[in-house]
Amino acid sequence: MSFENPWVHGLVLGLIIANVSLGITGYSIWFERKFAGRMQSRPGPTVVGPWGLLQPIADVLKLMQKEDITPASADKGLYNLAPPLTVFVVLSTLAVIPVAPGWIVADLHIGVLFALAIGSLGVFPVWMAGWASNNKYALLGGMRSAAQSISYEIPLLLSATVPIILADSFRISDIVDAQLGGHWFAFWPPGPGMAAFVLFFLCSLAESNRIPFDIPEAESELVSGVSTEYSGMKFGLFQLAEYLHTFIISLTAAALFFGGWDGPGENDGFVWMAIKTLTLFVGIFWIRWSYMRYRSDQLMAMCWKFFLPLGLALVMFSALWVHLV
Amino acid sequence: MSWAEDATQLAVERFGLEVCEHEGPEVGTDRLVAFCRALKDELDFCFFVYVVSVHYPEVPPVEADAEAGVEATPGIPDRTVVNYRVRRLANGDRPTETFAFRTTVPTGGSTPTVSGVWVGADWQEREQYDLVGTVFSDHPDLRRIMMPEDWPGHPLRRDYAIETSHFPWR
Amino acid sequence: MNEIESSLPNASLNDGVQWTTVGGVQVPVELLAPAWPDPFLDVEEYDPDGDLMVLNMGPQHPSTHGVLRVKLVLDGEICIKCVPYLGYLHRGVEKLCERLSYVQITPIVDKNDYVSPMTNELAINMAFEALVGAEVPRRARYIRTICAEIQRVGSHLLWLGTFGLDMGGAIGGGGSIFMHTFRERELLLDLFEDLTGCRFHYNTHTVGGNRHDIPAGWADKAVKVLGIIGTRLNEYEDFVRDNHVFRARTVGVGMVDPKLAIELGVSGPVLRASGVDVDLRRDQPYAAYDEIEIAVPTETGGDCFARYLVRVAEMRESIRVATELLGGVPEGPICSLKPVKLPGAVKAKHGRGVYTAIESPRGELGTFVVGNPERRQSAIPYRCKIRSPSMHALQLLPYLCPGNNISDIIVTLGSLDPIMGEVDR
Repeated sequence: MSFENPWVHGLVLGLIIANVSLGITGYSIWFERKFAGRMQSRPGPTVVGPWGLLQPIADVLKLMQKEDITPASADKGLYNLAPPLTVFVVLSTLAVIPVAPGWIVADLHIGVLFALAIGSLGVFPVWMAGWASNNKYALLGGMRSAAQSISYEIPLLLSATVPIILADSFRISDIVDAQLGGHWFAFWPPGPGMAAFVLFFLCSLAESNRIPFDIPEAESELVSGVSTEYSGMKFGLFQLAEYLHTFIISLTAAALFFGGWDGPGENDGFVWMAIKTLTLFVGIFWIRWSYMRYRSDQLMAMCWKFFLPLGLALVMFSALWVHLV
Repeated sequence: MSWAEDATQLAVERFGLEVCEHEGPEVGTDRLVAFCRALKDELDFCFFVYVVSVHYPEVPPVEADAEAGVEATPGIPDRTVVNYRVRRLANGDRPTETFAFRTTVPTGGSTPTVSGVWVGADWQEREQYDLVGTVFSDHPDLRRIMMPEDWPGHPLRRDYAIETSHFPWR
Repeated sequence: MNEIESSLPNASLNDGVQWTTVGGVQVPVELLAPAWPDPFLDVEEYDPDGDLMVLNMGPQHPSTHGVLRVKLVLDGEICIKCVPYLGYLHRGVEKLCERLSYVQITPIVDKNDYVSPMTNELAINMAFEALVGAEVPRRARYIRTICAEIQRVGSHLLWLGTFGLDMGGAIGGGGSIFMHTFRERELLLDLFEDLTGCRFHYNTHTVGGNRHDIPAGWADKAVKVLGIIGTRLNEYEDFVRDNHVFRARTVGVGMVDPKLAIELGVSGPVLRASGVDVDLRRDQPYAAYDEIEIAVPTETGGDCFARYLVRVAEMRESIRVATELLGGVPEGPICSLKPVKLPGAVKAKHGRGVYTAIESPRGELGTFVVGNPERRQSAIPYRCKIRSPSMHALQLLPYLCPGNNISDIIVTLGSLDPIMGEVDR
């Protein structure tokens, strides 16, 4: 679906895609808890609604009716600005990702760069929350998160450069078009393509502070890290932003490395995009519930000593590949 | 509990102490640290088990009363007996053994700390200071450990809170 | 089931270790540090500019294993000085013991080490029996040993669950291991419910023996449950031991110097993981331990990973010992004193002090009891001191923290396994 007027196009599609994403994110909470429960030999939520399906609604209602406690010595402006800003930054990256042929909010010719650049702005609200809470735990969480986010952007960008080079365009819909017909970049070039995907995946996990990289919100050490002093819906917004970021990572990885809406044979479409996204989504949960977290200096060491050289090597390799193949 | 023969010998011969069975020698506060050091360095009693202060409140003297047939008994002053126990760990050749010794101070009086000899005496002595009130001189950090910092009194003395109808809560 | 050789620490891990003697026992040379950090460092003198941050890991915290307050002086993320504050769970148990008779004290002492309650009961009743002069019949000694070993399994299972929580958080990989170990622990608690009527805090040991006898069919059920736990332990080991993140978080973290540990009075798995081969069950047998052989696992790593290995090996050994004992519990009475209706019936013979110690899951748990020689008061102790192993282990914390990250401090504290009920009494 596309409209002539870019503003109308952006508005309509933006509303549809953003709301559907938020809905899916809301229900990913249900799915994660069921999945986690089964991994721990227990059923997960079963009380609220059939199979616990009304659980996310119950959670949202609970958060909305909680008292909004603001610490007296917190920096009010930054403190209140941080949660909505996190969600805003994460949702903005959704603008350049195609979910079906033609369904893209803004088909920018610098698509990937835009997504990564806006995503990197996500450092600021977390940093703001850490400072403005006037709480040492939040401060430590914010500092760790800032260091982690800034460090992991570099290998993230390098691994995202691989599909850019292979497709010869920054536009994400071009990247997806280059993979149509089964030439998914994760499998072709064989080996380094998968390495680029894994690198992208892990760096995105680090960017969105998911286990095993969730040292900024390490619950057992920093109570709740950056969101320690937040209560009610503001805390809910932080959680929403994290799940949304996870969802968007899956979308982006599916588009960049797994051919987006490319299906077997001739059938392309939204369904295949959904399947790939949800598979990666489940993979992220699986990792979360199996691993403990790395220590912050081990995280940094992994990034600078391992991921960064690997990213550079992959970029050079993909440039060679394009020349020779 | 096996009773260490060589430690008993050390106490009797080198330090001239009397050793009663099961309770160990009574060491004076002036010789305490030297005795501990000898135990640790020469006889391998490296493992610190406990230090306990036991408060014996004053027993007033009883006057002779010929009519009731009561004899005069001298009073016993208010005193605290500080019991120590250390252990020698077992290796292949010898079993594990503990050795206990004690020292007596007037209640509230001070005795030298043994935390210079065994590091583990640190918190244990703080606990006994907190609960019974024995002061350990030269302790690196003698302050209350269980009770709040500004609690008055020493709860584990025998004359503390014996009336339970009203509690000394703040 | 008896794979004790394969479950004991891999010999190749301990190969090539240089040994020396400290206090007559063998310790690995590489764990001995030339100097220990100063726990009484004067921070103002050390840092006159005031760049250091004081972080209070307060009494309420998701992972301080109970109510423990730790004041950390941090330089960025590295700790310079650590001061633990105790006493938040101080309930005056020793003072209560001066009010209650010997048979009334057992349920009070149950609540010290609230994770393995029967060990507290065993420790205190052994001391009382020495004071009162009571013999324990053979059947009661067997039951006591079996229960002690099963409690050890339960305690280490709980430790493993909370250790995972410390590292992975309740929402995350730690939560998974936590849920699994607690599911296993429920099986053990059901066993104890069949035996004593209580899942927790049993009040089953008494002066002279036990109160509750083994019901019919309990031995078979217990053997089956222990077998199930043994198999599931393999699953946990697969999940945890070769988990790359677990190893990264625990290997080389929290190295305990064995000389420091011995002087501090640390015992149990913490000491054994630093290479010191000491175990009261073997060295100073009590209850029925003189009738069986115990293999004591030790490790030479001295870090959190070594402590993990020791505890898992201890779990397997306890399962083996309990299964063996359950096969042959002798017949006979379970208590040498007649059932006590009046609390004043059990009296001390003398006013001297008696000390007995057992090997609890945390180390040497001992009781020093002074009897009251006065005729009217002789059913009540004069002074009762409980020597808790967790307090000595916690004393290690100011020596282990300096120079480490906050994350490492949490993991180290978890691996020392302090139980605040026992520390504070």
